[in-house]
Amino acid sequence: MPTPASSSASASASSSHRRASSDLMVRIGSADSEIKLRALRELKNQIIGNRTKKLFFLKLGAVPAVSCALVQAQAQAQADLLVQSAAALGSFACGFDAGVRAVLDSGAFANLVALLSFPDDKVVDAGARSLRMIYQSKLAPKYDFLQEKNMEFLLSLLNSENETVTGLGASIIIHSCETVVEQKALCYAGVLKKLTSLLEGSPSQKDASLESLATIIKKNPEAASKFVSESRRALNSVIDLSKDRNPRTRLLACMCLIVIRNTSPYYLQDIGIKTKLVYLLLELLDDPGQVGEEASYAFSSLLAQKEDLQKLAFEANAIDKLHNHLKKHSLQPRRYQGILLALAELCSKLESCRSRFLSLEALNLVTDALSHEVADVRTAACICLRSVSRSIKSLSAGRFMKEMIVIPLVQLLHDPSTSVQVAALGAVSNVVVDFTTAKSTFLQCGGLKLLVQLSKSMDPILRLNALWGLRNLMFLADNTCKEGIFLELTAPSLSSLICDPEPFVQEQALALVRNLVDGCLDSIEYVFAEDGIILDAIGMQLQSTSKAEIGIQGMYVLSNIASGKEIHKEAVMHQLLLQVNNGTQAFILKFLQSNDSQLRTAAIWTIINLTLPSSPGASSRVVKLRNAGIVSQIKTMVNDPCVDVKLRVRTALGQFMTVGDGST
Amino acid sequence: MSLFWIVIRQLAEIEAMATSKKVITKEEWEKKLKDVKIRKEDMNKLVMNFLVTEGYVDAAEKFRLESGTEPDIDLATITDRMAVKKAVQSGNVEDAIEKVNDLNPEILDTNPQLFFHLQQQRLIELIRNGKVEEALEFAQEELAPRGEENQSFLEELEKTVALLAFEDVSNCPVGELLDISQRLKTASEVNAAILTSQSHEKDPKLPSLLKMLIWAQNQLDEKAAYPRINDLSTAKLEDPDV
Repeated sequence: MPTPASSSASASASSSHRRASSDLMVRIGSADSEIKLRALRELKNQIIGNRTKKLFFLKLGAVPAVSCALVQAQAQAQADLLVQSAAALGSFACGFDAGVRAVLDSGAFANLVALLSFPDDKVVDAGARSLRMIYQSKLAPKYDFLQEKNMEFLLSLLNSENETVTGLGASIIIHSCETVVEQKALCYAGVLKKLTSLLEGSPSQKDASLESLATIIKKNPEAASKFVSESRRALNSVIDLSKDRNPRTRLLACMCLIVIRNTSPYYLQDIGIKTKLVYLLLELLDDPGQVGEEASYAFSSLLAQKEDLQKLAFEANAIDKLHNHLKKHSLQPRRYQGILLALAELCSKLESCRSRFLSLEALNLVTDALSHEVADVRTAACICLRSVSRSIKSLSAGRFMKEMIVIPLVQLLHDPSTSVQVAALGAVSNVVVDFTTAKSTFLQCGGLKLLVQLSKSMDPILRLNALWGLRNLMFLADNTCKEGIFLELTAPSLSSLICDPEPFVQEQALALVRNLVDGCLDSIEYVFAEDGIILDAIGMQLQSTSKAEIGIQGMYVLSNIASGKEIHKEAVMHQLLLQVNNGTQAFILKFLQSNDSQLRTAAIWTIINLTLPSSPGASSRVVKLRNAGIVSQIKTMVNDPCVDVKLRVRTALGQFMTVGDGST
Repeated sequence: MSLFWIVIRQLAEIEAMATSKKVITKEEWEKKLKDVKIRKEDMNKLVMNFLVTEGYVDAAEKFRLESGTEPDIDLATITDRMAVKKAVQSGNVEDAIEKVNDLNPEILDTNPQLFFHLQQQRLIELIRNGKVEEALEFAQEELAPRGEENQSFLEELEKTVALLAFEDVSNCPVGELLDISQRLKTASEVNAAILTSQSHEKDPKLPSLLKMLIWAQNQLDEKAAYPRINDLSTAKLEDPDV
C-alpha cells in the first residue's frame, strides 16, 4: 500500500486517536446513565469486526470497565445499558482469546448468565449471544453436565423459544462434552431427543444441532444406537440435511454421518451412503471459505483406516481433485494442511492411489510444501510423503532418493517444532528403505549425522522415530553403509539406547541391531565391539523385560548372531545360560513359555541356529541346554497350537537327536 | 411450489408421448392448465415472501391486513433492515454500521469480508467528498490492519486508495468504485447478511419460480410446439408456431 501520509501527520493522528479513546473510557465510567449508554455503544461500534481495536481497548482496561457497567445496570435493571454492555463484552470475546480471558477475569461470566432470566427479550438475546461467543473459545470454563441442576439448566436453554438461547445450549455441549460419562448423561437426560427436534428448526438451529449430535455420538456406540433407534426420522433427517441448500449445513450433516458410521459398525455401511459422502465432500472442497477448509478434514476422517472408502474415493477421482486444489496459488495454511492430510490418508493403503499421485507429478507440490513457513503445513507434507513412500514399487525405482526430496527432508530434522521433526523422521524412515541405489544421497547431505543426533534427544518420541529411521537405513544396507552408520552411532550409545528408560525405544534399538547383524558374517562382529557391550546390554534387557515385542526383537538379534561362527554361538550360549548359573529362571525358558507365538518362534529359532548339526560345538551345546532344562521345555511344545512354532520345534528336536548323545 | 411439479410432470408425459415434435394448440393447453389447482394461500405466501425479502414493509403490512397472510418474519425487523440498506445507498455508511450492530452485533464480528466492504465504502465516501486527509487517516487506522490480515483485502484497499491519485476520477481506471452501483452492491451484501442472520432466505422465491418456468419451457421446446410464455411481465400465452 502506498503511504502518502508523512510520519508526523500519522503520529499526530494516532495521538489524537489515543486521547479520544481515553476520553471514551472516562465516559464509560460516568454516573450519568445517558452518557454511559452512548459511550458503551460507541465502544461496541469501534471494536466490532476490528481485532486491532479490540486489542487496543483491552490494553486500556476497557473490559473490567464494561463489566463494572454491566453489574451496575443489573442492580438497577436498566435494559438498554445491559444490552450495550453485554454486546461489548461479547464482541471482545468473539474470535479473540485474549478478549475471552479478559472477560472471564473480569468476573462478568456469572452476570451474563444471570441476564438469561431477565424479563426483557432483547437483554436475554444479548446475554446469550455473548455467552455463546465465550463458549466458542477453548478458554471457556468447562460446564459440568453431571450436576443435576446444570443438566436442568441446559435443557431449559435447549427448550427456549429464543433461537440465540438454544444456540447457546448447543455451544455448551460442543465445548464441554468430552468423556463417555458426559455423553451418556446427556443421552439419558433427553438431550438427543431435543436435538433431533431442532434438526427441523431454523437454519442456525439445524447447524447447532448437527454439531452437538456429532459431539455426543463420537466414539460412543451406545449413544449412536440410542440416536438411531429412538426415532426412525432422526437419522433420515441428518441424511436429508446433507442435501441442504446451505453448504455449511451440508458439511455439518456429512460430519455427523461420518461420526455415526465411524462409531458404530451397524449404521450407514451401505455402498450408497458411502459413495454419497465421498461425492458430497469432494464437492464441498470447492467452497472458497471455511466450509471448503473443513471439508478436507472431514474427508480425511471418512477415509481414515478404511480401504473400501479409499477405493471409492479413488474411483471418484479424488486424487486429481485434491491435486488441482494443491496447484492453486496462495493457499490458506489451514486449507493447505487439510488437503495434504487428505492426500496422505488416500495414499496410506492403496498402491493405485499412490501411483496415480506420482503420475500427476503431485510429488513436486508436496516437496514444495516441505519448506512452507507454517509448521502445520510442513508436518502435513511430511505425513503425505510418508504415506506415498510406502509404495514398494516406487521405492525400488528409487523415486524418493532424490536430492530434491531428501535435502529439504533432512533440513526438517533440524526444525524448531518437535511435531515437524517427528513427521520428518516418519518420512525419512520410509524413504531410506530404498532398495536399489546406494543410500548415499541421504548420507551425503548429512542425514545420518542428524538421525544419530536425534536418537540422543531428550524427547523419547524423537528418539523412537530417529531410531526407526536408522533401522530402515540399515535395512539390507551394504557393509560400507552399515559401517558408516555404526561408526556414527558408536557401540556405547547403541547399548545405552537398548537400555533406554522407554520400552518403545528399547524395542526400536533392538530392531536396529537386528538389521545390523543381518546378512553377511562380517556384520555380526559389530556386536562384539568394545568388549561386547552391545551383547551384554541385550542380555540384560531380555532378562528384565516383560514386553513380548522387546523379547521378539532381542531374540532375533541373538538368532542372527547364533547363525555365525563358533565363537559367536558360544557368546549367545553365554547370554542364555548366564542366569541359570545365578539360580534365576533363564529368559529363554520364559520366552518359550510365552503366550505370544511370535516370541516362541523367535526363541526356538535361536535354539535351532545354536544346534545346527554342521557346527562342531553343537553337541556340547545340546548338553548344556539339556542341563538347563531347555530341551525338556522344547519337548513339551511338539503340539504347539501355532503351526510355525510346531514346525520349528520339530526341527530343533530332530537336531537334538542328530547331534545328541543318544539320551534324547 | 407444487404448481411447478405438476407442470413438470405434465411436460414429462408429453415428452414420453412425442417421438417427433408434437404440436399443442392453445385450446388444448388452456384446458390442461385449467386442471391444475393452485391454492390461493400459497400464492399469497409467495407474494408475502417477495414483499418481506425485498423490504416493502408498508405493502407487507397492508397485504397482511387485507389477505390475512402472516409474514414469516417480524415486520419490525424489516424496517431496521431497510434503514440499514437505505443508509448505505445514500452514503451514510457509519450510520449503517451502527444500525447493523444494534440489530445483531455478531453479523460484522463474524463476517470479515462484509465488514471490510463497509469500511471500504466509508473510505470511498470520504474520497467522494474530497476529505483527503480524513480519508488517508481512515485508510491507515481502520483499513490497513485488515489488509495485513488478508491478502485480497489488501489488493482491494490499494485499488481504493488509488482513487486519491487522480485529479479527474473519470480517467481513473478504478473510477467505477465511485459509481452508485458500488453503493448498491455493498447495500445488497449487507441486506443479504442481515437476512441470513435472521434465518431467512436472502432471495425471494418468486424469481426462482420464474427461472424454473423458463428452464421447463426450454426443455419442452425440444419436444413440442406449444403456447409459450415469452413475456414474463404479461404472462401472455403465445400461439405455437407450426
